[in-house]
Amino acid sequence: MTAVAPSDQAGLRPGVLPDFVSRIPRAPYRSLNPTTKLVIAFAEAFIAFGVRGWTGPLVVLGVILACAVWAHIGRAFVPFLLATIPLIASIFLVNTFLYPGATDTIVVIGPLHPTWTGLVEATQAALRVVAFAMSVALLGLTTTAGELVSDLERRGVGRRLVFIIGAAIRLVPRMVSRAAEITEAQRARGLDTEGSLLRRARGLLPLAAPLVIGALTDVEEQTMALEARAFTAPGRRTVLRAYPDSGAQRLLRWVVALGTVAVLALSVSGRLEWLP
Amino acid sequence: MDWLSRQFSTRVIVLIPIAIAINIVLGYTVQTVLKLPVYLDSIGTILVGVLAGPIPGLVTGVLANLIWQYAPGIGGGTIGPFAITAGVIGVLAGIWGMLGVYKPRPGRGLQIWGPAALAMAIIGLLAWRMYTIPQYTDPNVGAYPDWVYPAIVVIGIIAAVAVAAVVWRRQDAAGAWVAVSGAVTGVVAAIVSAPIAAYLFGGVTGSGTDLIVAALRQGGADVLNASLGQGLFSDPIDKTITSFVVYLILISLSRRFVARFPLGDKIVGEG
Repeated sequence: MTAVAPSDQAGLRPGVLPDFVSRIPRAPYRSLNPTTKLVIAFAEAFIAFGVRGWTGPLVVLGVILACAVWAHIGRAFVPFLLATIPLIASIFLVNTFLYPGATDTIVVIGPLHPTWTGLVEATQAALRVVAFAMSVALLGLTTTAGELVSDLERRGVGRRLVFIIGAAIRLVPRMVSRAAEITEAQRARGLDTEGSLLRRARGLLPLAAPLVIGALTDVEEQTMALEARAFTAPGRRTVLRAYPDSGAQRLLRWVVALGTVAVLALSVSGRLEWLP
Repeated sequence: MDWLSRQFSTRVIVLIPIAIAINIVLGYTVQTVLKLPVYLDSIGTILVGVLAGPIPGLVTGVLANLIWQYAPGIGGGTIGPFAITAGVIGVLAGIWGMLGVYKPRPGRGLQIWGPAALAMAIIGLLAWRMYTIPQYTDPNVGAYPDWVYPAIVVIGIIAAVAVAAVVWRRQDAAGAWVAVSGAVTGVVAAIVSAPIAAYLFGGVTGSGTDLIVAALRQGGADVLNASLGQGLFSDPIDKTITSFVVYLILISLSRRFVARFPLGDKIVGEG
């Protein structure tokens, strides 16, 4: 066994950016500019919710499925679909059986009167929710937060906003494990997380207080670290990674964004009532 | 512009992501580990609002919900569109902070019990006004099942006793005003949330509060009124608890730390 220097292992050569810094995703759809994918995701969400009836959610679902097939991520959608089941079940139960003012009963089962009106409303609401969840999944599966944030910074989004978003996303997993540690420590001291409502409610402060106060102790150090590194200095920072963009994508972004605004305006003013 | 940039000192910029993470993690933990029927996902938003002002509060609330929705792994089903509500909560918290609601008001005897009684009267009036709205009492719009009224009375008494206990133990009337600000925030949050839940999700959000929506629908409420009725039940309780947790956190932090934030002088007071 010959000893390998750590820099060789990572493929580092002087003067050349290492692979993990400069690598740009190449797979279809994934290789689009992060901002393009963000614009598409927001447009899908707004159309799914903004255009009532069947058309909006179904068109959005069709677009998302096409993109997913193109990006080869069909199977990765399954857990996201499964996660919507509780909400979908609730939507169907509440709307089908308890739709106010509906009289077109499907069948009478004892005291229950499911109605067609309720079922149609429930199906449409469920389609909206699924379309929205899938638009979120498509963005999440094809774009990392780091890519998106650094591309937004290159486009001139202020470093304060970039820091807030980036730091928040990095902090969440750390704080999740901190919350788990605190829960276990308090359980070891007799905190009841399984008992009656009142007992569980009493566990709230022993859980929340250490978590929040512990997190706040970092503020002072982080503030000084940022100030010491010229965070508030004027002028723009140099961005290390640049994601490829093209004129076609710029055009696509504008068309999608303006098109969404136009469709929403038509929908709100009631000019899309003829759509199913 | 100066007013705005003063609210966004580096210290506030560092606090906001921590507050966002607190919102997400605590909201998630309370709903899944302790399984309590409250949200408690706005502690960070109210903390930033009170310490820094309305605009940082707005930014914290909106970004927290968007990041919660879009972040991989923790993604939350319906939380994203409620970014509007979260933003309003942040703005309100900033206004409470500027008004000095969280400022210590120490005293003895009538000095603390006078304001405390007034605050309790305001909450009582608000509760009475809220729970006699047509959504609960008029069978044409919607009505609650009978168990709700005793439940409201019990929750009200527990809240009043808890607030009074804190006021008495600290000999400080601030707790009562914090409770009032929380209840008002809750009413506003419910009014902003109801159309979002009704219009986007058919009135339900996939959590335990859907049971209340179903009960109201059973009584004949339409989609919007059922959502509003559910919100007016859950939100004031949730935001009062949240505001109180923020108050307890603020008084356990060192005065030096709190005073360095833009609205710090409104919280530590004089002396």
